[in-house]
Amino acid sequence: MISFVVFSLKRAWQGFWRNALMSLAATATMVLMLLLLAGFFIIQTGLLAGLQFTEQKVQVVAYLQPNIPDSQVQAMEGRLQAMPEVASVAYITRDQALADFRASMKEQGREDLTQYLDSNPLYASLEVKLAEPAGVAVVTQALRDEPQVRNVINIEDLVQRVLTVTNILRTAGTVLLLVVGVIALFIIVNTIRLAVVARAEEIEIMRLVGASDAFIRWPFVFEGAFVGFLGAVIALGILALAAEPISGFMVDFFRVLPIQFGSLTRDLVVLVMGAGVGLGILGSWLSVRTYLIR
Amino acid sequence: MTIAPAPPAARPSSRPTTRPVDQAAPERAVLVLHDVTKQYPNGKVALRDVDLVIPEGDFVFLVGPSGAGKSTLIKLLIRDEVATHGEVVLDDQDLARLPRRKVPKMRRKIGIIFQDFKLLPTKTVWENVAFALEVTGTPRRKVKPAVDRVLALVGLTAQASQTPNQLSGGEQQRTAIARALVHDPRLIIADEPTGNLDPLISWEILQLLLRINELGVTVLMATHNADVVTALRRRVVALEEGRIIRDEVGGAYHHED
Repeated sequence: MISFVVFSLKRAWQGFWRNALMSLAATATMVLMLLLLAGFFIIQTGLLAGLQFTEQKVQVVAYLQPNIPDSQVQAMEGRLQAMPEVASVAYITRDQALADFRASMKEQGREDLTQYLDSNPLYASLEVKLAEPAGVAVVTQALRDEPQVRNVINIEDLVQRVLTVTNILRTAGTVLLLVVGVIALFIIVNTIRLAVVARAEEIEIMRLVGASDAFIRWPFVFEGAFVGFLGAVIALGILALAAEPISGFMVDFFRVLPIQFGSLTRDLVVLVMGAGVGLGILGSWLSVRTYLIR
Repeated sequence: MTIAPAPPAARPSSRPTTRPVDQAAPERAVLVLHDVTKQYPNGKVALRDVDLVIPEGDFVFLVGPSGAGKSTLIKLLIRDEVATHGEVVLDDQDLARLPRRKVPKMRRKIGIIFQDFKLLPTKTVWENVAFALEVTGTPRRKVKPAVDRVLALVGLTAQASQTPNQLSGGEQQRTAIARALVHDPRLIIADEPTGNLDPLISWEILQLLLRINELGVTVLMATHNADVVTALRRRVVALEEGRIIRDEVGGAYHHED
């Protein structure tokens, strides 16, 4: 068994270098396809993070009747927090609302008109962030049922429209990634098939001298795995070199997005390595199989 | 060894004698074809009701025009194809009933030689011969003595480290013969082994096959080389349109009356 594995690995290594041109062509194709796959994966991750961010922006704002005691506000906050649809509740006092408004005006470089007013015209409010945008209707109704609430800004239609768009984008991104994955699969499998077909005579001789299927198949499978591994290492190397400028750009572009670069890197390594080695093995297995079935 | 003269033939002829097909093999038969018909999926019938017994140690020429069914017969013997009807029994095993996974082991009982040699151009003579052992899982320590022995037998010890393109056609074919012999086969099948060689070299190859036969290996040689067949007066099986039309010991390439 061990000698069989050693034999297969040795033959795989020889096979790779004896047909160096073919093997390098297969590896180059593998690198390009894996880069394509990785590129679309990065775009998909960014897209998903962007959509999630957009959806998290959805919050229901309820303006309160004037002069409600703090205890009542806290009781209301507690009731809202207990709802599963609610992620967090923030209480904006009238003073806070005024301060926020002034800061916002100043930031936009506009004149602060509130300085001409005698008193604070703003209402205190509760800003309710939702766990899921879909919960907007329930939360809005719950707020309307509170006697201390003066009015609730109706954003249900808006939320519905945002959800429609994000769902379409999410589906489109997934479909696109799958399509790219299938394309990469076919191209890689075909390239490896070419490398195997180039050695059809060798396989025929092996069959004629009485080599068992395992002895014919495994050297090619190992060789395919090696092409995949080498392709993945090169592709990851290129990605690592490109990571600095790309992540700089990403950070600029998605400054506000909750992208986890650590987990993205881990996912990329797993994806590229898995796709490379997996497709290498699959391609060899399928290609050799056509010669073994009789 | 040679085949004992057959019983009196129907047609009056001194020599060669016609062999009745159903005659029981006097010795252990390496190969028995019984009532074999092969029809390809496209409907073409390549072999029809073929009966053939090849005893251990026999030397048989298989002759006939192109398309007569010689290649199909050889494919049946190495179980590249399976007979549509009838039995192909090699070394007491019915090939049609042999499970697929046992085919490789059965093939090691056959050494096969082709017109185009089928050597690997990137490997040396020694490696080409050793290849047959390596890919069948022979332990390393057994490979070297076996390869050295067959290379000495075919007279290529001095060329062991050359690659096929450095060899003459005859030397390439001798390499292929060494590879066919390295498993100690029961049967050597030679498919037009002299087809690519000039007459002198062809004779060299024939001498080698005869010597291997003298060592006890059964040889079945498909050929168009009329000179060789007629001169050697061995057993001749002639195929035409998928049928055996002649099976005589000491025969010539063409039918003689």
